[in-house]
Amino acid sequence: MAMNTVVPPKATDIETALRDCASGDKLALKRIYDAEAARMIGVAQRLLKRRALAEEAVQDAFVLIWRHATRFDPQRGAGLTWIYAILRNRSLSILRDEKRTETTDMPVAEETASEEDDPETVMSKLSDAKALRACLETLPPQRRGIVLLAFVQGLTHGEIAGRLKMPIGTVKSWIRRSLISLKECLG
Amino acid sequence: MSPSSTRSLGPEERTALAGEYALGLIEGADLTAFDQQLEADPDLAAAVERWRVHFAAIDATAAPIEPPAALWSRIETELATVAQQAAPTSMSSVAPARASRPAAPAASRLSDWWNSLFLWRGAAVAGALATIVLAAGLLNALDRARRQPVMVAVLMTEASVAAAVVNTFADGRVEMVPLQAIHVPEGKALEIWTLWDRAVGPRSVGLIERARSTHLRLDQLPLGKDQLFEITLEPATGSPTGRPTGPIIAKGTTAQAL
Repeated sequence: MAMNTVVPPKATDIETALRDCASGDKLALKRIYDAEAARMIGVAQRLLKRRALAEEAVQDAFVLIWRHATRFDPQRGAGLTWIYAILRNRSLSILRDEKRTETTDMPVAEETASEEDDPETVMSKLSDAKALRACLETLPPQRRGIVLLAFVQGLTHGEIAGRLKMPIGTVKSWIRRSLISLKECLG
Repeated sequence: MSPSSTRSLGPEERTALAGEYALGLIEGADLTAFDQQLEADPDLAAAVERWRVHFAAIDATAAPIEPPAALWSRIETELATVAQQAAPTSMSSVAPARASRPAAPAASRLSDWWNSLFLWRGAAVAGALATIVLAAGLLNALDRARRQPVMVAVLMTEASVAAAVVNTFADGRVEMVPLQAIHVPEGKALEIWTLWDRAVGPRSVGLIERARSTHLRLDQLPLGKDQLFEITLEPATGSPTGRPTGPIIAKGTTAQAL
């Protein structure tokens, strides 16, 4: 897909825009939107499965970005990760809380994920250039699959245990040990 | 493992916990505790940030989805709504000193104000005080025995400003009293919902064209402690789906009045 080749703007552009947002410049928020909204909907869609919910999460995220822009501290992290953390938090709240507005009987988390969001497919799309890919490859496939399921689809310990028919304690300890191994590898 | 004890954990456990947090695996009370811990523990916050940077590679694999043209205007509408809603007149009396951030240009005073956490805390206190004053006023003015609410819900905005109270009375009446001006765009209305059972879902109990005191129609619906009330922005004729569709203006749960 042609969109995939679009290089995201440098983090510094996002950080400049966040600083401008903090001083009340709505055009700066629009700059972030123009640069990131499509990717953000893609990320939210993987978590929430439904387009309308994904758009709601992105809408909420931009309101929160605007509102909290003065709290963004470049000393503590990059602007881009800050924005995606807001989106992720908002998406997970919707995912886990959204029975509130549930119009069907099926919880979002039980909706079928697209094959695109399957752990091994995600794995194959991870950039070779990233240390994360090489380090995930050192984990046994099922364990790295669990880490990817948690991140990409936002599944809880309990949901992963249910899906893989494993005891929840095993899931918890596998994830913990996988994270420790990953950290050793990532340095 | 409780996040409240993260400082006493070994480095491996702290790393794993920071990773679980970045994955979104910490929930409920543990999540609240971890969020507080993050404020006080810069090393832990840095560990979370390192995980986020690594996991960003996974987000980068998501296929972009072109946003619908209307999405940006929905965001702008919501920014305008919350900005106006949050203009209580008591702000000047609760304005404490700003946090020690670099001074922003004078032209941005409004957003500066809007983004000030301290002010919001002040506003939340002011809102809570307003609730108390209001409740006290109600009690004095009206027949105590009949009028004392059995349960009260304070509906807070996402920025923790008290926007309205819901009072329930022994004779079954339920009223909502706004505490803030809430801007309602043309063609829109405020719809009030209650949720007592997630399996049943939220039920509409009121639709008002502007923020004003109103009786809520709970009729045969159950009413108990910890029952959620919320206000959403909906089309003027009410939500087309019978469920909340618009942004949440404020929400809160009932508690027993003393």
